[in-house]
Amino acid sequence: MSQGLDNLKHIVVLMMENRSFDHMLGGLTQKNAKINGLQGNESNPDGNGDPVQVSPTADYRGQLNHDPDHHFPGVDVQIYGGAAFAPGRTTTMDGFVKSYGTQSPNVDDSHAIMKYFAPQNIPVLTTLATEYAVFNGWFSSIPGPTICNRAFAHYGTSFGNVDMNLFLVSAADKAKIPTIYQRLAAGGHSAKLYYYDQPSSTMEIVNLITDQSFFGVFSDFVADCKSGNLPDYSFVEPNYSDHPAPDGTRLLATDQHPDHHVLAGDNFIGKVYDCIRINPKLWQSTVLLIVYDEHGGLYDHVAPPDCQKDGFKAPESATGVPGLTFEFDRLGIRVPAVLVSPYIARGTVVPGKGEANGRIFEHASIPATVSKHFLGKDEGTVREQNAETFLDLLGDNLRPDNDCVFFPKAMKG
Amino acid sequence: MAIKDAPTVDTIDFDEAEAYNPDRPISSLIRTQLLHLHHAEYLSKIPAKERTNININTLHTEGQASEYIQQVTALLHKYGKKSKPARKKASGKKPAGKSKKAKPAAKKRASRK
Repeated sequence: MSQGLDNLKHIVVLMMENRSFDHMLGGLTQKNAKINGLQGNESNPDGNGDPVQVSPTADYRGQLNHDPDHHFPGVDVQIYGGAAFAPGRTTTMDGFVKSYGTQSPNVDDSHAIMKYFAPQNIPVLTTLATEYAVFNGWFSSIPGPTICNRAFAHYGTSFGNVDMNLFLVSAADKAKIPTIYQRLAAGGHSAKLYYYDQPSSTMEIVNLITDQSFFGVFSDFVADCKSGNLPDYSFVEPNYSDHPAPDGTRLLATDQHPDHHVLAGDNFIGKVYDCIRINPKLWQSTVLLIVYDEHGGLYDHVAPPDCQKDGFKAPESATGVPGLTFEFDRLGIRVPAVLVSPYIARGTVVPGKGEANGRIFEHASIPATVSKHFLGKDEGTVREQNAETFLDLLGDNLRPDNDCVFFPKAMKG
Repeated sequence: MAIKDAPTVDTIDFDEAEAYNPDRPISSLIRTQLLHLHHAEYLSKIPAKERTNININTLHTEGQASEYIQQVTALLHKYGKKSKPARKKASGKKPAGKSKKAKPAAKKRASRK
């Protein structure tokens, strides 16, 4: 066991919203060729059949006025280019502009889906990605929207759901598939889901209905970091809406869901990091995973791989794709994922699909890792048991303070 | 060594006043959240007289939605079930991952009611 793993007492996960790997981190390939981002010549055809190349001209807001389709049928078009379902279809990753074109008032507007951020324009995420570890192969769990993807982080499954519907877990399933929070509590460990505040609330409504024991708000997270009372496992949700604070000041959405201001989210990531970074004892005993729930309809060039079947099936009526009953045997589109700890060597790039020693991660990797570390067992759903875990990235060498960055302005936000 | 020794990176300032828009139409994500919380009002043990009785179809902006979301979230916490609190490990106890079997938590615990 490494020194970093031996010292690890806290796992913190921050799950952001709806941005693809290439959209946020694709530009880093120009700085480090090991990062599987963009070469600059990737393209998708538009509605006129003209190629639309990727370009580093993504703006913080205003380019994605229509929320890009990321529901199951839309993602199917993005992955397969609009080819009708047939066994053995080829993944082409060339249907993104075509998909967005159905929502855009004109062909030119549909090109926005191919834009990505120049690394210097989102300094917190790209700095953390290059200062610590970035995953080339972290995929959303389902080629679909938010709720079912987030469920994989909490339960290791979406109970057969591929859409945004509220799923109510049956008593039988609840006993069979408890949340990672319940499993930790049963094992004598502490866990908390910190949503931003009550006007933003949580996307984990199922737990909110049935059990409030595991919830806190972001100000609690800040205080718990400061006092050193962070639970063993923390899951942090960003602010999902622009709304006033109790004192009347402005609170901006920090989730980066289109069309929320991307810098508000970048600064929020910095604040979460700083809260941990500023407490020396906590910093040395915590690992922070920053990950996005799904790609939000934005372009990524890596085709999602096949995966272990989940045991559930989504019928054609749920997938919305004629002829397709989904057996949860393919992951969703790739998302940004960054792992932070002073025990991680600078510039670590975890190889992904198609690379030597490549490893495939998905959101079931979260409860799988947490369970393995704190409960000492590989348990949970089929997907969890087959998921890669990530704590082996912690090494023996503790990087000194003068080697680990800090974002002073983020703490003031 | 302390945080003062850390290399610093500046975040990018932007005009928050200009960016702030509670009148922004809600996304499908927030629409979903509204629907789920609306269901939750009726599935939970919130007394009928305390339910908001707000027609969520009249909520179109983030500002409007956040007010409703706040009210229902507060009610769910007030009337929701609180199972056994997440128990703190005994001091000095290593994570179970380091031993073959998780040890049971201490028997006496303060109630969190």
